[in-house]
Amino acid sequence: MENIALAAILVPFAGAALTLLAGQKAAKWLCQLFAAIASICMAELAYTYAAAGKVAHTYLVAAVGDTTLFGLTVDSVSVLIGFAVVVLGFLVAVYSSAYMSEGNREHPHEGTPRYYAFLLVFIGAMAGLVLSSTLVGQLLFFEITGGCSWALIGYYQKPKSLASALKALLVTHVGAIGLYFAAALLFAHTGSFALSGLAGLDDSAKTLIFFGVLFAAWGKSAQLPLHIWLPDAMEAPTPVSAYLHAASMVKVGVYIFARAILSAGHVPEIIGVVGSIMAVATLIYGFILYLPQKDMKRLLAYSTITQLAYIFFALSLSIFGSNLALKGGIAHIFNHAFAKSLFFLVAGAISYTCGTRSLPALKGLLKQSPLLGIGFCVAALAVTGVPPFNGFFSKFAIFAGGFEVARTHWMLLPLVILAMLESVASFAWFLHWFGATVPGETSEVVAASSKVPLAMQFVLVVLVIMSLGSSFIAASWLG
Amino acid sequence: MSHMEWVYALLLTPFATALLAFFSRGLGAAARRAATLFHLLGITLMLVLSLGTAFAVLADGPISAAGGWFYIDGLAAIFLALIGVVGFLTGLYSIGYMRHEVDNGEISVPTLCTYYGFFNLFLCTMLLAVTANNIIMMWVAIEATTLGSTFLVGIYGQRSSLEAAWKYVIICTVGVAFGLFGTVLVYSNATSVLADPSGAVFWTVLLGHAGQLDPALMRIAFVFVLIGFGTKAGLFPMHAWLPDAHSEAPSPVSALLSAALLNCALLVIIRYYIIVSKTLGPAFPRMLLLAFGIMSIAVAALFIIVQRDMKRLLAYSSVENMGLIALSIGLGGPLGVLAALLHVINHSLAKALLFCGSGNILLKYGTRDMDAIKGVARVAPLTALLMGAGALALGGMPPFNIFISEFMVVTAGIHSGHPWLMLVTLLLLTLVLAGLVRMVARTLLGPSPDAVARGELGVLTLLPMVLLLAMMLTLGVSMPRPVAAALDSAARIVLDQGDAPLAAGAAAPWIKTTAKPVPTAAPAAGL
Amino acid sequence: MTATLIVNNLAGLLFVTSLLVMGVSRPTASAVFYSLQSLVLVLIFVTLAATLGAGELYLWAASAFVTKVVLVPVIMYRALGKLQDPAASRPLIGPTGLCLAAAVIAVLSYLAVSTVKLAVVAELKPALAVSLGHFFLGLLCIVSQRNILKQIFGYCLMENGAHLTLALMANRAPELVEIGIATDAIFAVVIMTLVARQIFRTLQTLDVKQLTALKG
Repeated sequence: MENIALAAILVPFAGAALTLLAGQKAAKWLCQLFAAIASICMAELAYTYAAAGKVAHTYLVAAVGDTTLFGLTVDSVSVLIGFAVVVLGFLVAVYSSAYMSEGNREHPHEGTPRYYAFLLVFIGAMAGLVLSSTLVGQLLFFEITGGCSWALIGYYQKPKSLASALKALLVTHVGAIGLYFAAALLFAHTGSFALSGLAGLDDSAKTLIFFGVLFAAWGKSAQLPLHIWLPDAMEAPTPVSAYLHAASMVKVGVYIFARAILSAGHVPEIIGVVGSIMAVATLIYGFILYLPQKDMKRLLAYSTITQLAYIFFALSLSIFGSNLALKGGIAHIFNHAFAKSLFFLVAGAISYTCGTRSLPALKGLLKQSPLLGIGFCVAALAVTGVPPFNGFFSKFAIFAGGFEVARTHWMLLPLVILAMLESVASFAWFLHWFGATVPGETSEVVAASSKVPLAMQFVLVVLVIMSLGSSFIAASWLG
Repeated sequence: MSHMEWVYALLLTPFATALLAFFSRGLGAAARRAATLFHLLGITLMLVLSLGTAFAVLADGPISAAGGWFYIDGLAAIFLALIGVVGFLTGLYSIGYMRHEVDNGEISVPTLCTYYGFFNLFLCTMLLAVTANNIIMMWVAIEATTLGSTFLVGIYGQRSSLEAAWKYVIICTVGVAFGLFGTVLVYSNATSVLADPSGAVFWTVLLGHAGQLDPALMRIAFVFVLIGFGTKAGLFPMHAWLPDAHSEAPSPVSALLSAALLNCALLVIIRYYIIVSKTLGPAFPRMLLLAFGIMSIAVAALFIIVQRDMKRLLAYSSVENMGLIALSIGLGGPLGVLAALLHVINHSLAKALLFCGSGNILLKYGTRDMDAIKGVARVAPLTALLMGAGALALGGMPPFNIFISEFMVVTAGIHSGHPWLMLVTLLLLTLVLAGLVRMVARTLLGPSPDAVARGELGVLTLLPMVLLLAMMLTLGVSMPRPVAAALDSAARIVLDQGDAPLAAGAAAPWIKTTAKPVPTAAPAAGL
Repeated sequence: MTATLIVNNLAGLLFVTSLLVMGVSRPTASAVFYSLQSLVLVLIFVTLAATLGAGELYLWAASAFVTKVVLVPVIMYRALGKLQDPAASRPLIGPTGLCLAAAVIAVLSYLAVSTVKLAVVAELKPALAVSLGHFFLGLLCIVSQRNILKQIFGYCLMENGAHLTLALMANRAPELVEIGIATDAIFAVVIMTLVARQIFRTLQTLDVKQLTALKG
């Protein structure tokens, strides 16, 4: 099993090297090929793991003396999330092959080998991070994703996009300082970097390490006070936004937090208190900033910030003893990845065909392009958590977990209620834009739009299906 | 050949090469070809001899030669091998770089001969500095490195380069005079307490009798030594010469100054640190190193972030990295020392790469001003790729080597109870990263000016960079056994632990020759 | 008068000569005074050699005479005679300030030396203080002078200070050590003079305040 897992990490890296060397024409095909191989590896890993009775394993890959440097954790959570990030990587690679072309009305530009190489590195780094069993492994891939995100956000090489890229790199690097500290502290206390060592520590050491991890998580997952990079990062090509800012990079934060919680056993409650308060604060902040946004991608960025806050909230609740909230949080990582990617890719398809993504200019999408209309509709409903779409189920679990915990910790009750109110309000807001853009007579821009290429259609259809069904996969997988 | 003869051959090779290069001035039409050929042969032989000597030390223990005047232990071996590798690669790069300069009439053929002569003389003095066991000779050699390289800094003979050369020679000789004073204090201290004063001049003897030396005098002496050789190593506030000299020198010389010269002075400081720690206990020298280290990092980071001149930016990055190394030694413990030594290697490779890259850009664009350099990726894609990867690596991005040594420094800091200092260091390193990434974004990316012709300069200016980046990646992904063994043996010398293994697994996890076999080349396999 | 008293007094004379080196305006005059100072240094070596019975010191005295009394001053005198830049001759600190600073250095050096407990130098502490002070006097010369040629002399003064310390505290050092230091010092002076001449030829100035192309 460890070889398949290692392959899932290394294949994209090898592919990136090849892609960079290959010419402009071959790059996009090589990228898709290697992303597909990595996806197959992840699927194979999931199958093997399930067939072996879903027993969690940690494999040692590199150690010096008694100190574990790098290892692989194969358990239900890492396989589920690993599958999502790698497969979404593949879908984005397919989508990019059509999006990054001269036919694009917003950015007519053929994708360069550099683009595809960094995308592959990103996929590999995500797989590595998710499967890593040590803090130092997480830190390594955390930083690699940071470096790649700089290259991808600044891809168009405009001064503005380069500035945004630098901002993303630096803010997440400042976040990484927390992980540096957590790894060094863990080593100072246990003589090893293995996350499993967390369980044996006393509360004061755990608290310090958790604060380090939490800080790093806030940085990557764009939570207050380190959220500032995400809205600007929308300068990236839209497939990149879909992958980095919906499915993978922003999920790094919540994932390492979840992984630490899973490894530590008992977690000091102060972490839960700080985590949940900051989550709700981010939630409200993110919602308020929905309101003035006209650019569809910036709206989605703030939506991502709030959705990640839900996950932080869920994970923090789990510290108070709610297993349901933990499962809900992890399922939400999975579900939100598909739903938000769909939303971004719909936005990308709109700018590809219409040449703009300014919401007020868009009207009557459904009539002109039923797929985009349906995609918009499904994505909005899934992201805001309307049944029967995937967001509903995970959010439901989070709230149920919240009320469960609130019985013993009454202070949490207002936070849970605030979170629910936000959910309803954001539904109303998305409904508003949905009503304005999707139904009705087509506006000038929409009427003049071009056709959505086949590769993009394929990806959108897959994601629509996943937005309906991913919750069932997650629920049955997590048990 | 015995080991001793290797050492003599190693020291004589660059010296003889230098003489041959100087004399080829008189060869008329053949001068250019002859000097280049002598240079190429000389640096190749020097590479072989230095690596051979370093391996011999690793295999058979320290080499002592010329009645104890030369002494090469595991610590010196690392620096020796670095001078060999960096000297060879920058020497190779020089051939391509200087060919362009001569073809374009920037320098004349006689100057080229003098350049190769001084280049090899400079190598010779650096080799002398790291192999010296006689502390007076150590000083003489460090002083000689200044004298040997002054001409190289001022070679273009323009206003700014002459100014840089003047600042370089005056600040460094004055600074190193402090080193002389410190050396004299240590030496006279030893002559008065040793039964046989004739041994007082040898570092190995001093180390053996460190306990008998007068603590008050050694305290003063270490301050002098740190100021003196710290000037040469580029520590703040004695670094004033460094940005000027590094930016004005021809790029291969900048690379050599930054990647080899600074290390030599650093080695001398480490040598005294070992003795003084034994006499006084480590608290005092560590405190000084911590203070100089963090100040250097802080000031350099601020200069990096506002810099417009590409080579000055890289020069301040040298100050920053030397500060980080001093800081890491100051943190103490096996982990701190290992981190420092590893960072010495990592920084040298990265900085040699970047200065070579900046040289390619300088030749293409004719300026170092980052407001004028645009779109290198379109003009010279391979240079841009190597430069970009190198800059990110220098900023501490994995999977390159600097990430590992920086992480080790932080781990050492937390381990030794300096969390706040580490926090400040990491924030400053973030600033440095910002400066480097901004450099990449401003110069490598974007549209290129029409006036600049497309195309690379040639194999000789690219091959050294490719090799350097490959080494950086190798060190970052999987540390080769010999390097690990060398670091291990060097760290023992710095910690003065003799042959005893470094404190139990917890203290030195990174480098142990008994590592479990790694099943596949995982990205983190050799962390 | 005992021999140690002679040494201490001669050491005091060193201080005076260095003030002269710094104080005079013409570089050639500085070269003459530097030669004079080196002669004093040689006399100290000879006295020390006689009193301590350290035979090596005669050799030191001889080599110092050749290099410092003759060679370096001659090189400087000949090289500097052609370089004239009156604008650069005004020092940053006037004679009064110079003397004041020198006094402060002397007191501080004396205090620093008084903590040293080595039997060898018990009698010669004033001389030791002078050697330390002399070193810093050289540094003072470098920072207080605008003329780059004076800065070279500053370095020579520092080097003399270190040399005296070596003679006082480690006079049994092998001759080779002494020669190494002296040779290096001469080369340093030669190289600095060459650079100074090139600067004068290219920029027509010796004023350190004119060297401001590089900043930041």
